[in-house]
Amino acid sequence: MSNQKNRKLSQRQFFFLIIQTQIGVGILSLPYDLHIAAKQDGWLSLIIGAFIIQFVLIVLWLLGKKYPEWDLFQMIEFLTGKWLGKVLSLSYAVYFTFVGALVLVLFGRMISGWILPNTPIWVITFLMTSVSLYLVCSGIKVVARFFTMLSALLLFLLFLLVFSLNELKLMYLFPVATSSWKELAAGVNSGMLAFLGFILILVIAPKVKGAAVDTLKTIFIAHWFVAIFYLIIVLISFTFFSTEELPLVSSPILYMLKSFEFTVVSRVDLFFLSVWIVSVTTTFTIYIYMSGVGLMRVFHSQNKKVFLIVTAAAAFFISFWPIGSQKTIDAFTSHIMTASYGMAIFLPFILYGLSLFRKKNAAGSER
Amino acid sequence: MSFFKFFSKHHSNDSSEDQKEIKQLAAGSTAKNEPQHPTSIKLSENIKYLLKNLNHSSDVKVRVLKDGQSALIYLESLVDQEKIQRTIFAPIEDNDTNSILGLPSGKKTTNLEETIPALLSGQVVYLENGTTTAIQFNATAHYSRSPDEPTNEKVLRGSHEGFVENLTVNVNLLRKRIEHRDLTFKYFKIGKKMNTNVAIAYMDGLADPKIIKMLEKRIKAITSEAIMSPGYIEEFIEDNPGSPFPQMLNTERPDKAVGNVMDGRILLLAEGSPTVLILPATFFMFYQSPDDYNMRWYTGTFVRLIRLASFLIAIGLPAFYIAIVSFHFEVLPDDLVMPVKSSINEIAYPPILEALVMVVIIELIREAGIRLPSPVGQTIGIVGGLVIGDAVVRAGLISNVMVIVIALTAIASFVVPSNEMSTTLRLLTFPIILAAGTLGFVGIVFALLFIFIHLTRLESFGVPYFAPIAPLQLKDLKDTFVRLPLFMMKTRPKDARPLQKGAMGESREWKKSEQSKKS
Repeated sequence: MSNQKNRKLSQRQFFFLIIQTQIGVGILSLPYDLHIAAKQDGWLSLIIGAFIIQFVLIVLWLLGKKYPEWDLFQMIEFLTGKWLGKVLSLSYAVYFTFVGALVLVLFGRMISGWILPNTPIWVITFLMTSVSLYLVCSGIKVVARFFTMLSALLLFLLFLLVFSLNELKLMYLFPVATSSWKELAAGVNSGMLAFLGFILILVIAPKVKGAAVDTLKTIFIAHWFVAIFYLIIVLISFTFFSTEELPLVSSPILYMLKSFEFTVVSRVDLFFLSVWIVSVTTTFTIYIYMSGVGLMRVFHSQNKKVFLIVTAAAAFFISFWPIGSQKTIDAFTSHIMTASYGMAIFLPFILYGLSLFRKKNAAGSER
Repeated sequence: MSFFKFFSKHHSNDSSEDQKEIKQLAAGSTAKNEPQHPTSIKLSENIKYLLKNLNHSSDVKVRVLKDGQSALIYLESLVDQEKIQRTIFAPIEDNDTNSILGLPSGKKTTNLEETIPALLSGQVVYLENGTTTAIQFNATAHYSRSPDEPTNEKVLRGSHEGFVENLTVNVNLLRKRIEHRDLTFKYFKIGKKMNTNVAIAYMDGLADPKIIKMLEKRIKAITSEAIMSPGYIEEFIEDNPGSPFPQMLNTERPDKAVGNVMDGRILLLAEGSPTVLILPATFFMFYQSPDDYNMRWYTGTFVRLIRLASFLIAIGLPAFYIAIVSFHFEVLPDDLVMPVKSSINEIAYPPILEALVMVVIIELIREAGIRLPSPVGQTIGIVGGLVIGDAVVRAGLISNVMVIVIALTAIASFVVPSNEMSTTLRLLTFPIILAAGTLGFVGIVFALLFIFIHLTRLESFGVPYFAPIAPLQLKDLKDTFVRLPLFMMKTRPKDARPLQKGAMGESREWKKSEQSKKS
């Protein structure tokens, strides 16, 4: 009994799991994406996006609160019936695998373009896959411990950005709120996608100890931590580069850091990128984990390791497909982003709607 | 009145049973299913049996007394002649009793098989013609060196005692330090042929009984015939034998052992070895030294931080240097580019090869230095360190920056107070150097990720190895990166799973009362 209790995650670990999942590949290109969509008002879009996600999070929490013993896949099977449930769960698993592959693609592309141009990309993505697999096979408890430890690195990232404070020009943010609604909405779109990964809370909630209210609190704090982290990065990029310059730099933070020179080291961007690798690893690990759990539920198996290996391998091989050129990568990205709306926002809403009608059976015979 | 009578009567009836119980308690849990061989009434047959079972070994001594009517049998090599004189012959000469059979210090038995282990542990067996009783006397000789300070764990201030090869002396050293009834020892005999005495020690009511049970189970599961030292036991009972990291802390210092027992950890001692294992161990325990607690706490903290920095230097510095010179030269600021570049320009080999060669050379010098007597060892140090180091640079085989880097790395790896951890660090340098040589910073990051993931998932007796960092226990950081003043360490570290959390209450209340008096 006490053993069972010990195996559960604490609220603090839950918090770090969420933020490490959300902060990942996106941070390098987020300012650029926002700027392309909404010009200097991109940061407004980000805030609007954060509020919308906040609303989505409440729905996810309500859904999770109804079935505190179940994860996402068990809920799906209960709410939509056996066969439709299996199809949906499987599509979730496939979706997570594809997101994992996308993470690998973007990561491989960035490393290859920025530091290791002569190394074959598959070597880099293979290393990432194997590290994540090693981590995720140790169980979610170890993953949570590891993420908690790594979070100190986020402070290091922020610390590197401190040096830019002298060079920022708030003028670049003006004029405020002149973009059209359409542009702002496009910005909200890019902004919301940076928060993807919050679906994790449905997969992992049954493993977290504490009352539902505490969970909600943790989710909120984690969400706003990430939002503010993004906002800092976006604002620094927007005020360091002018509105004309930004469309030319696809990863503004790196270019900014590259321009600094200290007496001890130059090229701080390389250190930033090294720490960023860790952030990407955490994101990728969680997607493998979610996909593995999904497959495990679909096949009613207890052998998690096999499914984890399968999904990691699948993500690795899928990543070969679009990695060739920027064009295919962009297409791959936009398809997955579209799918994300359905999987991370639309479907949970429907599930919640269904759950309102299936209230009475919630006690659940299956476990 | 009648009640009283009844009570006393009851008591007297019970006395024989009581004696039996006392005997049982004294014998402990041993001697249940031992082989039996009744003592013969004939002396010659008994002697024959014993000699046969001891393979007529040359050090078995049979001393015939009373014109062949009785005999003393013992292993010459194990007993103290003085003690035989004192326990057996002196009382007879003093006319306290006229027969050895009547001596109170002897332990009677009728099972001849029982006397064999007794003989092997250094006892003297007395047999007499015409009786089936054999008597065992304790006359074991103790040869033990004095508890000197261990040479591999020296401290500046504090106790200079060290464990010795004798288990009894070691137990005595611990008992002397903790005068409390809770300090508990449990003895085991392991190694089917060697029958090594092994003891575990813990504070009852403080150490987690689950861990004790786990440890006992694992010790009893050992089926090896020969167990020489705790190093052997370690490999049989540790959680993950595939890990490069030591999962039990070795020490030869009683003060270190006692400190850990008071945290709720368990000691494992073995006959014949001065090394004591402390478990469950965590990574950061290997970076603590009794010296830390004898310094001002600022100094203690500073030294701790230096040691932990040495961990990063030992595993990371050569890799970092190689990554920079072979992949990311642009990381160096402008003023440094020329000196570094000019030093490595003339070298024929790539930096990764240079590094590997130098690391191996350092290991050679170290290994050569250990086995040699200390004056020769110093010579090796000078020849190896100075001559090779200097010549290799002049010959243009290795760059001088590389020599600096590798020398620094070697020194950093020796800063760790524990030799096991130090060797582990030096071993881990190799994969990281290889990773850095093939993929630069990216390689280093992945190699470090592997190592830290491993540290996070590693457990020592079910206790997370990398606590209190992962899982994070903020309270326990007080004795990890820093060393707070002792009166502030009010709780025991959680990673030892102690049953009582508090280690002390308020200890400096007098300060407040003094201040209020002043004002």
